[in-house]
Amino acid sequence: MRAMWLEIRDELVGILREPTALFFSVLMPVGFFTFFVAMFGEAWENAGTAMIVPFGTFGVLAVVLMNPGIGMADAHQRGWLRVKRVSGIPLWMTIAAKVIASIPYAVAVLAAITASAVFVGDMRFDAGEVAVVFAVLVLGVLPFAFFSVAIGSRVGANAAAAILNAILMPSAIVSGLWFPYEMLPEAIARIGSVLPTYHLARLAMAPVDGGAWLGHLLVLAATAAVGAMVATMAYRSARL
Amino acid sequence: MLLAVHDLRHTYGDEVALAGVDLSVDAGEFVALLGPNGAGKTTLVRSVIGLIQPTSGSVRVAGGSPARAEVRRRLGVVQQDVGFPSTLTVREIVEGAAARAGAGKDRAKAAMTEMGLADLARRRASNLSGGQQQRLQLAMGLVADPALLVLDEPTVGLDAASRKAFWATLEERRNRGTGILLTTHIVEEAAALADRIVVLHKGRVVAEGTPSELQRTLPGRRVTARTSVPAEVLRAVDGVVSVTASDGEVDIAATIAEPVVRTMLELDPTTSDLVVATAPLDDVLIALTNETKEMVA
Ligand SMILES: Nc1ncnc2c1ncn2[C@@H]1O[C@H](COP(=O)(O)OP(=O)(O)OP(=O)(O)O)[C@@H](O)[C@H]1O
Ligand SMILES: [Mg+2]
Repeated sequence: MRAMWLEIRDELVGILREPTALFFSVLMPVGFFTFFVAMFGEAWENAGTAMIVPFGTFGVLAVVLMNPGIGMADAHQRGWLRVKRVSGIPLWMTIAAKVIASIPYAVAVLAAITASAVFVGDMRFDAGEVAVVFAVLVLGVLPFAFFSVAIGSRVGANAAAAILNAILMPSAIVSGLWFPYEMLPEAIARIGSVLPTYHLARLAMAPVDGGAWLGHLLVLAATAAVGAMVATMAYRSARL
Repeated sequence: MLLAVHDLRHTYGDEVALAGVDLSVDAGEFVALLGPNGAGKTTLVRSVIGLIQPTSGSVRVAGGSPARAEVRRRLGVVQQDVGFPSTLTVREIVEGAAARAGAGKDRAKAAMTEMGLADLARRRASNLSGGQQQRLQLAMGLVADPALLVLDEPTVGLDAASRKAFWATLEERRNRGTGILLTTHIVEEAAALADRIVVLHKGRVVAEGTPSELQRTLPGRRVTARTSVPAEVLRAVDGVVSVTASDGEVDIAATIAEPVVRTMLELDPTTSDLVVATAPLDDVLIALTNETKEMVA
């Protein structure tokens, strides 16, 4: 328990002391969102929470896909990961600490997006509803951190950033996080519906539009299981 | 037995790094692992600390496999080519290592002082110099009071004062019952500190013993003389390992001196300035790991 806390603390301290990575993964989604709100805010005035869901999903994904993996790759490259492995810190703890440490990050992104909607877009939300959506997004996004860690344990920091970005951007578009499906070709919607990122967005929308949630939850649970397995395998077989 | 390595083999692709190594370290025993570049020292160390899964053979640390995290926690390790995060300070790293081992901040402080890091405690670890980072690794390794220290070229990059302090620390730990496995290229270091020296070459143990045993049983001789006998002739003589010749002076390294001395005197009775000496241990070991001629049958 204490060891776990130490791992998480080191991760959090790392994030706070080297905030450039944070800056970009928070700034980009928030910046995009603010831009959209400023441009089209009027048309969305009554959309309320519904409009922060897709951007919120993109925001937490950006953080949780990018950060643990880049941190892992950096530690790997430096040879610090070898020190950790040898000092008897169990594998699951190294991975779990990276995943858990990205939670405050994800919350920060959501808070920034909401603040932007309120102050720039002049929008009103039901606080309870927003809280539920936040909780769903923050917990629901965690499975994606495993894939981030998996990639980070195999390649260098720059490569990790490039690869993770190359995964993040297309999946965000195809999952309808940037533009609603009504604006996109049907083929994209069909591809999107098999992506776990799409199911995360749908799950976060459920408390708002009263849609079904169980199927989406199951997809995310399966994603978590596969992700944990992939991360474990990748780290274990990584040439440290 | 603290460390028991049995018939250890490891290949990287088709590069054979370890070709069947047996090795043991007891509590309170200091074993030095010597060998030229590429001999397999680091590969052996990495198997012992659980960083690689060897191709075959077994490694037991205090009876357990180093693949298990709780077994690794009994080790104090210095590895080659590690780096530290740019986000943590020296103190945070050493205190973290202490806390993970169930020790308090006082022990962390003692380890930092012991390794001369007290003044650097607030520095970011990645900003330390090479030798300082090496000392930080040592402090991390010592703070847990490990049963076995596994040190891969720990004195590389240390200045003379730090090296002396480090040797004293090792000696003191050994006397308190800690087992030590240390790799080095410096023969004098091994001879001065170790209870036992193991010489690794091309993935095999080619010699093993106490420093004085090695000196005795590896009969290294150095023969110098002024003679007209050509170097090629001398090289073919039984027991000769290498010959350097210039201006009629020859310098011969050999396992035994008599055959080459006899040959010289027979072929050139005017041979003069003949000196036969015991070769220093490092010459013996260089000869032992020389590619051109095998010294041990
Ligand atoms: N990751 C690797 N992939 C392929 N070959 C490797 C790898 N690591 C080591 N080798 C090879 O295995 C052999 C043993 O290497 P090792 O690093 O164990 O030697 P060493 O005795 O530690 O050398 P040094 O004194 O230079 O540190 C060498 O021939 C080396 O080229
Ligand atoms: Mg080495």
